[in-house]
This record gives sequence, C-alpha cells and structure tokens, in this order.
Amino acid sequence: MLPDKWKAAAFPLAFVLVAAVLAAVPFFEDLFYQTFLTEVLVWALFAISFDLIFGYVGLLSFGQALFFGLGGYAVAIPTLKLGMGTGSGLLLSVAVPAAFAAFVGFFSVRLTGIHFVIITIIFALIGSTVGETWTSLTGGADGLVFMPPPLDLGIAQLDLMDIRTTYYLVLAIVAISYLFLRRMVRSPLGKVFVAIRENEERARLIGYDVRRYKLLAFVIAGGLSGLAGGLYTLSLKYASATFLHWSVSGHAVVYAIVGGAGTLVGPVLGAGLIMALEHYLVNLLQATDLVVGAVLVSTLLLAPMGIVGFLRGRRK
Amino acid sequence: MPGDAILVLEKVCRNFGGLMAVNFASLSVRKGELRALIGPNGAGKTTLLNLITGIHAATAGRILFKGEDITRLTPDRISHKGISRTLQITSLFSGLTVYENIWAAAQSRKRFFNPLARPEAWTDVREKTGRMLELTGLADKAGAVCSELSYGDQRILEMGIALSTDPELLLLDEPTAGLSTQESMALVKRMRAMLRGQTIVLVEHDMGVVMELSDRLTVLHYGEVLAEGTPAEIMANDEVRKVYLGK
Repeated sequence: MLPDKWKAAAFPLAFVLVAAVLAAVPFFEDLFYQTFLTEVLVWALFAISFDLIFGYVGLLSFGQALFFGLGGYAVAIPTLKLGMGTGSGLLLSVAVPAAFAAFVGFFSVRLTGIHFVIITIIFALIGSTVGETWTSLTGGADGLVFMPPPLDLGIAQLDLMDIRTTYYLVLAIVAISYLFLRRMVRSPLGKVFVAIRENEERARLIGYDVRRYKLLAFVIAGGLSGLAGGLYTLSLKYASATFLHWSVSGHAVVYAIVGGAGTLVGPVLGAGLIMALEHYLVNLLQATDLVVGAVLVSTLLLAPMGIVGFLRGRRK
Repeated sequence: MPGDAILVLEKVCRNFGGLMAVNFASLSVRKGELRALIGPNGAGKTTLLNLITGIHAATAGRILFKGEDITRLTPDRISHKGISRTLQITSLFSGLTVYENIWAAAQSRKRFFNPLARPEAWTDVREKTGRMLELTGLADKAGAVCSELSYGDQRILEMGIALSTDPELLLLDEPTAGLSTQESMALVKRMRAMLRGQTIVLVEHDMGVVMELSDRLTVLHYGEVLAEGTPAEIMANDEVRKVYLGK
C-alpha cells in the first residue's frame, strides 16, 4: 500500500505529465498526429460526458448524439449565418444542448431501464430527422461548411484555421472539462448521483428527489456533449445532420464500456485505444468495425468493468 | 414516558384492484414509544408502512405527522419531514462501502450540494458518519463493500442508514427476517443500544423480539386494526389468539 500522501499526489502528477506530453506533440511532428489527437480529445470529452449520465447516475442515454450534433450547429449556424464570433458559438454549444437536454430530460428521467434508453433514442431520431429535412438551416446530410472566425481571448486572437492552434484550444478545453467533472463526481453532489445509481429506492427514502438529480445530471451531460460537438465542428469546419443520429452515441457507449464506465479516466482511455486501433488497422483491413466489435465483446466477457475497473480490481 | 401523538392515521385505506390491503386503519403513535405492528402474512403491515412513507398513495383517509398532513407527499419529502425506514428486503447501496453508505444518508439533510465542494470539507457530515459507524459497531468494516458483509451486519447497516437522516420516527420492516436465532439475538441487543429514545414502528413476526422490545402492539388482520394494547393485554386477547397466535 502506498502512503496516502503519495496517493493524493498521484493524480495531479499523472495529469500534468499526460497534459505535458500532449502539449509537446506539435513540437516533434507534422500535422497528422495533431489532427488525429484533436479528434481523439473531442471524442474523449464526448465519452466522459456520457460517463457522467451512464457511469455515475446509471442511465444509458442514447440521446447524447442529439446534444453533440446540436453543439455542432450551435457553433456553425451563428458564425456562418449571423456573423457571430467563435467565442459566442462555443458558449452556445454548451447552452443550446443543455436547454434541449432539460426538455428531453424532463420527459425521459421519469422512465427507467429500457424505457429510458428507448425514449432517448426516439428524441435523437426526431432530432436527426428534423436536421436532415430542414436543409435551409442545417444543410441536411451534406452539412454546412464554414470558416470559423478567429477566437478573441482579449489578450490574443486564436486563428482556428491553424491546426496547431485548434489542437491547443481543444486540449485546454477538454482538460478543464475533465477536471471539472472529476471534481464534481467526488463532490457531495457526485455522491448523490452514485447513490441513485446504486439504489434508487433507497436514495429516495433517505430524502433525495431522484428525478431532480437525474435531470440535473442529464442537463450537465447534455451541455458537455454539446461542447464536444462544438469542438468537433470547429476542428472539421463542418457540421452535419448526421452527427445528430442516435447511433453516434454508440461511440461514447463503446469507449466508456471498454475503458471502464464510472471512472472518467476509463472512457478517455477507451476513446484513445479504440481510435488508435481503428486508425492503424484501417490500412490492413477495411472491416475495422469487426475489430472494435471483437474488442467490445472480449471486454464484456473478460473485464465487465472495463480496463480501468479490471486494473483497480486487481490492485485490491 | 411517551408524550403526545407524533403519527396519526385516520381511516386510511389502500386497495390494489379488488383487494383491500389496508381497510380503514386508524392508529396513533406517541413520541418515544416503540409500537409493534403484528398480524398474519398479508395483513397489510408492509403496505401500511408504504403508505406512511409515500411509496404508495392512500386511496382514502389521512396520515398526520406532527400534526401535518403528509398523505400526498413523495417519499423524499416525507424523509425530510423526519420519517425514516428500513425495508423488508435489505435495501443498501450495494456496490459502495459501509462508509459511503452511511455518508450518503448523513449528508442528506443538506440543502445544497455544491458540485465543486470537497466532501472532506463537510466536517459535520464526516463526524456524523463516524459517530454512526461507532453506534452500529461497523467502524472496523467501514472500508468493506457492503455486499461483502454478513446478512446480520447488512440489516444493522440499513438501520444505521435510516438513523443517519436524523429521523423523529423510524419504521422498521421485519429487521430479523432471514436471520438465525443467534443472529436475531445479537441484532436485538445492538438495536437496544442504537435505538434508545427513538420513536419506532416495528413490523415483526418473531413474537419473542416483539415482546422484548415493544411498549404497545397493534394487531392487523385483513387490513383492519383488530386490537391494540400492551404486550400483556394483546396476549390475553381472545380474538388475537384465535386469528394470529393460533392458540
């Protein structure tokens, strides 16, 4: 057993180390890995936002794609059609999906189990159908291509047409979001979430308004899924109604389950691992989905708590 | 001595389809007393507790707690009014440790859960959790995941959770169900220490436990209150002997 002091220092050290390595990447290589890592970071954010609602509150939401896609449009439409700045777009990419999550959640958190799963799929289906039909606004399945104006931070202007700048922006926002979520799941509020996941009836009997806390978690998760969508759109310079499709949520589900749901770090690892697998395998064989499927099935059979859950279990 | 009535049920009914599970039940529990609720299986004892805690809604009648009508409140609101309970089938946060189980209940009286607060900073909750671990005798098992506990310890832990919400009325649904005689005796001993001064409604089949702990008994039969009195009075009641005690 390590002394408590060491344990307390382990996370900050690991976090700083990983952040430093990621921050150093642009100094050592050309643009390919920056583009790839930008994408990994975006999906990692999407996966941890899903982990909040699934891993901590115990609700399997397939609606996160709706918020992801909305976050993308919340950046693309105001900058493209209203001439707004990228900063406002990013704020909207949190606020608009969070507002939709409040609406969707109001109906959804009344349901449990498979009924909750289905209603979130239905809401996402409605979203993608509207998105694909309302082409004058969304560009439909072809999407909207746009050029994000420079992000004005007061002290500096960030040129988001530059891959390296975009990489650093995404790295910073994902890192902050991770720290925020980590703090929250360990806070007294996080303990309420976990109590609900473990035993809803018991949570209610000791005085927690279960629906209210589920809704709160759903709105926070929706806002962060939206932010992931906003960053994705910023990095691709492209938003599409296909992002709204409920199956996009499946990415987060797979990353969280393979990495270890309810751990935050697990979904990040899951995203990195699976996207790296897909990337390296695509040259060898076309059927990468087959490999991802095999990884998912093996995880469920051999380490049902995911990679991080498996490692923690062994340490005990 | 027991004081004023803290819980009053006025002609409370609950039917499930055609079945009258609770049928015009009226009873009144005084502050500080331990009231046992006995009766054959299906007499409506658990349903009555479910009505008091808002798990089921009463189809008729009123439930008053400290003079306030709580008939239509949800379970979480009723918890905040000061009623806490254990369930017939042990209900814990099974994947969490003993410490985390108690903590979740100990922090439940807080009004605002700051998402950026560190739980260590809540010294009052930490102290309460520590006190409750001592009281339940589970302090040395605080780090154990509660599904690893013995069944008897799980029952005690559930009582610890229920007590950690600072209840003014505690409802216990068959605490000794599923325990061996030896475990039952250990549990009753622990209960005496833990529950001193509490107002309690106890549903229990084990007449030994009932006689040992309770001040007064209410006998339910087909959802109706058949008799009420001290343990001695109930034992002497012919009708009760006929329908329940089988003598």
